[in-house]
Amino acid sequence: MMIRRSLVSVVDDDKSVRESLPDLLGELGFASRAFSSAEEFLASDCVGQTRCLILDIAMPGMTGPDLQRELKLRRQDIPIVFITAHRDKTVRPRVLEEGAVECLFKPFSDTALLEALNAALRGS
Amino acid sequence: MKFGNGGPGGLGHPRRRPNVEVQLEHPAEETKRLQRCINDLVRILALPSIWSGGEPSQILHTLLDALLCTLHLDIVYGWLKDPVGEAHIEMVRVDESRKLMPRPQEICEMLNHRLGDDPLKWPPLVRNHIGDRDISIVPLRLGLRGEIGVIVAGSQRADFPGQTERLILSAAANQALIGLQEARLLREQKRVASELDQRVAQRTGELAKANEELRNEIGERRLAEERVRQEQRELKRIEVRKAAILDSALDCIVTIDHKGCITEFNPAGESTFGYRRDEVVGKLLADVIIPASLRERHRRGFARYLATGESRVLGKRFEMTAVRANGSEFPVEIAITRIPLDGPPSFTGYLRDITDRKEAEEKLRRSEAFLAQAQYLARIGSFSWRVATDELVCSEQLYRMFEFDHRVPVTLELIGTRVHPEDIPMMDDMIERARGGVSDFEYEHRLLMPNHSVKYLHLIAHGARDKDGHLEYIGAVQDVTQRRLSEEALRKAQSELAQVARVTSLGVLTASIAHEVNQPLAGIITNAGTCLRMLAADPPNVDGARETARRTIRDGHRASDVVTRLRALFAKKDANTESVDLNEATREVIALSLSELQRNRVVLRPELAEDLPLVTGDRVQLQQVILNLLRNASEAMSTVDDRPRQLLIRTERDEGDRVRLTVQDAGVGFEPQAADRLFDAFYTTKNDGMGIGLSVSRSIIESHHGRLWATLNDGPGATFSFSLPRGPRVRRAPTVFATDVA
Repeated sequence: MMIRRSLVSVVDDDKSVRESLPDLLGELGFASRAFSSAEEFLASDCVGQTRCLILDIAMPGMTGPDLQRELKLRRQDIPIVFITAHRDKTVRPRVLEEGAVECLFKPFSDTALLEALNAALRGS
Repeated sequence: MKFGNGGPGGLGHPRRRPNVEVQLEHPAEETKRLQRCINDLVRILALPSIWSGGEPSQILHTLLDALLCTLHLDIVYGWLKDPVGEAHIEMVRVDESRKLMPRPQEICEMLNHRLGDDPLKWPPLVRNHIGDRDISIVPLRLGLRGEIGVIVAGSQRADFPGQTERLILSAAANQALIGLQEARLLREQKRVASELDQRVAQRTGELAKANEELRNEIGERRLAEERVRQEQRELKRIEVRKAAILDSALDCIVTIDHKGCITEFNPAGESTFGYRRDEVVGKLLADVIIPASLRERHRRGFARYLATGESRVLGKRFEMTAVRANGSEFPVEIAITRIPLDGPPSFTGYLRDITDRKEAEEKLRRSEAFLAQAQYLARIGSFSWRVATDELVCSEQLYRMFEFDHRVPVTLELIGTRVHPEDIPMMDDMIERARGGVSDFEYEHRLLMPNHSVKYLHLIAHGARDKDGHLEYIGAVQDVTQRRLSEEALRKAQSELAQVARVTSLGVLTASIAHEVNQPLAGIITNAGTCLRMLAADPPNVDGARETARRTIRDGHRASDVVTRLRALFAKKDANTESVDLNEATREVIALSLSELQRNRVVLRPELAEDLPLVTGDRVQLQQVILNLLRNASEAMSTVDDRPRQLLIRTERDEGDRVRLTVQDAGVGFEPQAADRLFDAFYTTKNDGMGIGLSVSRSIIESHHGRLWATLNDGPGATFSFSLPRGPRVRRAPTVFATDVA
């Protein structure tokens, strides 16, 4: 039954996000996994199954964009939706240019997230 | 000899007289007669004692009286020849009892007739008839030949003269002769003595006169001699002094005659030229001290003067080259004057070795050249300004800086034509204060050059009074245009940088705050959205909704915690509390901001009260307030160009045991209705202001139990004042934001 549901992985060092987003994703009809760091995500078995990656930009250790480049190197063409608490206007165009589907500024609404996810999954 | 004319009259009756011869028979009578005779003789012989010292007339007088009386004569006559050529003396005595007396004339004639001229031939006795009677007359010669005189005795008695009478007469004649001779002698002696006395007196007088004249003459001669001696001494003294002047003169003094030969050469000349005086006197000056190369010229000039009276050198001071005995040449300053005496022209030359002066001049010239070059390189000009006369002396570089013509004397007016119009009020103020006698001043001002370029000058001047009490400033002016432009650029860059930094740091701060808050907000919003979706499901997922609501609350607390942490982060530590000397604190602030004030062409006038009480508080905070007020005032005048940008800062005792500080500007002021809002945070009249300064300043002052307020001036500008209670007062200042007060 659950196989049809696309896996959305969440990578964020913030606990609030890691706790709240999976419930919302579940309500929106997605399967989800949450990771507290990029390294944890890479080490998991979800990389290949993940249909969309919701990725925090600023994290201790490997940052969001670092993970984006790493996945590109591994030819893992996972659509990425960046989320960030820094309202840095220069960041968004940079990551979009690198291939990200969207960049959402925290706090974002559930509809904005759903639009981004739909866009990501449509593209894949 | 003759008898004189005068004489007694005729003889009277002959008196009865006892005849001696008759009475010889009576011895008693004889004795009596002898006694009488002796008495008579004694009387006669005593006569000379009466005559002693008498005159001949006296002698004759007494003799005749004595004979008349002694011999009872009827007549007696005397005649004396004057011994010294005077008139002869003739005298007659007759017996008063005889009534019939011939006249003396008759007696004389009778005697002449009877006796004759020659006394030697006179008879001893003559009987004569005189008058009506016969008289016996006895002539007696005085002197052997009667040369002295004659006495004639006459008596009527027939027996006259008796023997004794002859004796007495003879004795009387002898006595008379002796007496007369004595008298004559005496008289002669007297005469001689008198004459001698007279002559002596006369001679003495003459001598005294001569002596006096001599003495006067001697006195005059002495005076004259003394005068001559004095004149000689004076001449000598003058000569000695002139010689001493000549000898001690530091200048060489050389005199020459009309042929150009040396006649005098003083010791200074000897030591300067290395000749002895006796070596050069008589030689041609040209051959002695003038270098060979110049001799011909000297000769021509000398000859021209002698021929025409024209000279290019006489009476002037000039420099030339001279040569010493050893051949070395050296520069001298020389002045030649003609000696103003009659006769052929002669000249005095005054020469001075100016080697040292030349060297000093050369050094000075080099030094001046160095200075000029240094001023050129450093773009520094120098000047001196005598305030009383407005006499300005400027260095070459200063001329260059102002682009003034070198030939034109610099005046304050001329300088005024170059000063930037906006800086004229400041310059006027500066000049006025300098005239008032400030000791030093330092200013920056601009020049507006004819080509409309602007120069920035930095001026430093030091005032001093000369020995007459006149104020003079010596100053240096540096062209700081390059520096000022660089500083201006730097300041602008700094300002921009500060702005960037401020924006950046604010951005960073905002981002940081946003990040910290957005994280929990993201959780809250996501949870809230999830919760709504769970409740909206059919059937509603109540358990899930509860869980998400719980997480929403948790994240809300988390956001609250972030804000609390931020507040704690910006909290300032407690303010320091100490005794603060507001004057000293003010001076430090002035020192810090003076350069900026001057750059803004603000004329700062501090009036700091003496013996100002200390206040208690945070020195740095109070200084931030003062600095803020100064900067506000300076900025308020930044657009003022029609008046001096005067800024007064004053400290004073305030009423109620307080201390007041006032900052008064001449700036744009503020809207009267804005007076209360001035101190609100974020209220600003400035384009680039944050509106924080006055708000923070007021909170600082109020935290010091003080008051800060603003008033508008009667004239342009505003005045900001604060008043603080005097210390000491131990307390803690409350916590305030102390950043970015300016």
